[in-house]
Amino acid sequence: MENTAIQLNDVTVRFRIPHEKIPTLQEYAIRWLKRRSVSFSDFNALNNVSFSIKQGATVGIIGANGAGKSTLLKVISRVIRPTYGRVFLRGRIAPLLELGAGFDYEMTGRENIFLNGAVLGFNRKDIASRLDRIVEFSGISEFIDAPIRTYSSGMVARLGFAVATDVQPDILVIDEILSVGDVEFQKKSAQRILQYSNNGSTILVVSHNPSAIKQLCNDVIWLQHGLIKMRGSVDDIINYYSS
Amino acid sequence: MLEYDSAKRPPPAIDEFFQLIRYRDLIFLMVESILKNRYKRSVLGVFWMLLNPLLQTIVLSVAFGTMFKSSIPSYAVYLLTGLLAWNFITQTTQYAMNSMAYGGGLLKRVYIPRATYIIAAVGNGLVNLVVSVGALLVIIIFLHHEITWAWLFLPVSIVILAIFSLGLALFLSTASVFFTDTVDIYQVLIQALFFLTPIMYPPSILPPELNQLLALNPFVILIEVFRIPIHANHLPDFSLVVNAASLALITLVAGWVLFTSKADQLAYRL
Repeated sequence: MENTAIQLNDVTVRFRIPHEKIPTLQEYAIRWLKRRSVSFSDFNALNNVSFSIKQGATVGIIGANGAGKSTLLKVISRVIRPTYGRVFLRGRIAPLLELGAGFDYEMTGRENIFLNGAVLGFNRKDIASRLDRIVEFSGISEFIDAPIRTYSSGMVARLGFAVATDVQPDILVIDEILSVGDVEFQKKSAQRILQYSNNGSTILVVSHNPSAIKQLCNDVIWLQHGLIKMRGSVDDIINYYSS
Repeated sequence: MLEYDSAKRPPPAIDEFFQLIRYRDLIFLMVESILKNRYKRSVLGVFWMLLNPLLQTIVLSVAFGTMFKSSIPSYAVYLLTGLLAWNFITQTTQYAMNSMAYGGGLLKRVYIPRATYIIAAVGNGLVNLVVSVGALLVIIIFLHHEITWAWLFLPVSIVILAIFSLGLALFLSTASVFFTDTVDIYQVLIQALFFLTPIMYPPSILPPELNQLLALNPFVILIEVFRIPIHANHLPDFSLVVNAASLALITLVAGWVLFTSKADQLAYRL
């Protein structure tokens, strides 16, 4: 327990899916007047999922589309709260799923570093003290005072990556194989992640692609239909998963 | 070390408050970006915002000025102050609701306090209102309307308006996430309310029965509390201030409790 980074106890995430879409008050009122109740069904995107991950481990999560990977990540990164069960995290988490969340395309790169940094929970002073380092890593210092609507998509992603990974997080969540920017930047970003991993960050890699998982992790959790199908060494899981 | 335990959370109404304090820089930056986007790229800049109430005032003064000349001294000031307060409340709440209903995508992607957008909308409205009051001062000097120490009461009036707007915005934003047509219903409602509130006419023109009904319109006392120090040049009655402040506080508490209790569902619904 002492060195647990992530722990899930019987986590269930339930989405309520209405059979007919009733997003307006008007339709709701009509339905109510007609004494027709609103029918819906429940769908458990995650069903009693429990596992724990030790500090410093690199764990893969594999599963087909719709297996609940994204929901699992959302629950871990606090975007949604579990319907039942408990999610416990120790340390600061950096989800590299949504690079550049909160970017405002009318504003300059510099302004967006502050904005994105604040979305990630850093205060202004802190970001100001690290600004130069972030700009340098992103490699777009020439354009840092231009609005980011003039950036290429690669440049925007690089800026987002630079902000999100500037401070070593305790838990790093990576989606698929990280492909940010050009070959050179990809190398640079992979190196940074490796360095954080060596320095003790817990790393969670999510993918439906076995080869991506194989490259990075030894320990793999296999999700299927919102349940943990299996957990074990990468070779075992991938053998079963691929067949 | 930072810890997050979904099972150990203070009540949402309290938790959200402390999260907002932690993320206060985000709120400031959001307000800054709204203001910059609005003013940076237009030549008239700040004046755009003032142009709307100003044009409304000119048109309405021409149309009704003679009609209410006897009952309202300096009709233009009466009208302009009423419009400023009214626009602040309605525009702020509409802005908050829209940014939640249509721009709340960020809440689905990363964790930020759920009320961030709404507070930023009110902050933006406040900056606009303060700038407008500055411009109002210029216009009032130009119109040779008297300026007295009663102006010093305005910060209190503005805070009351902001608290009320925040509460209403929290309530409406919650509703708009569950029912998207809240935005349209509200639009129609405030259009009707505009005419049911003495903004461009004096309450005295209403028949006595209707005048009593005005007591049920919460916008009346809110606008009065802002208008009296500027237009009538004296402090608003103590009872009026107490009523307006209580109304604002009750609205805020109710909106806050409703919003925070539903906030967890927002990421599912947006």
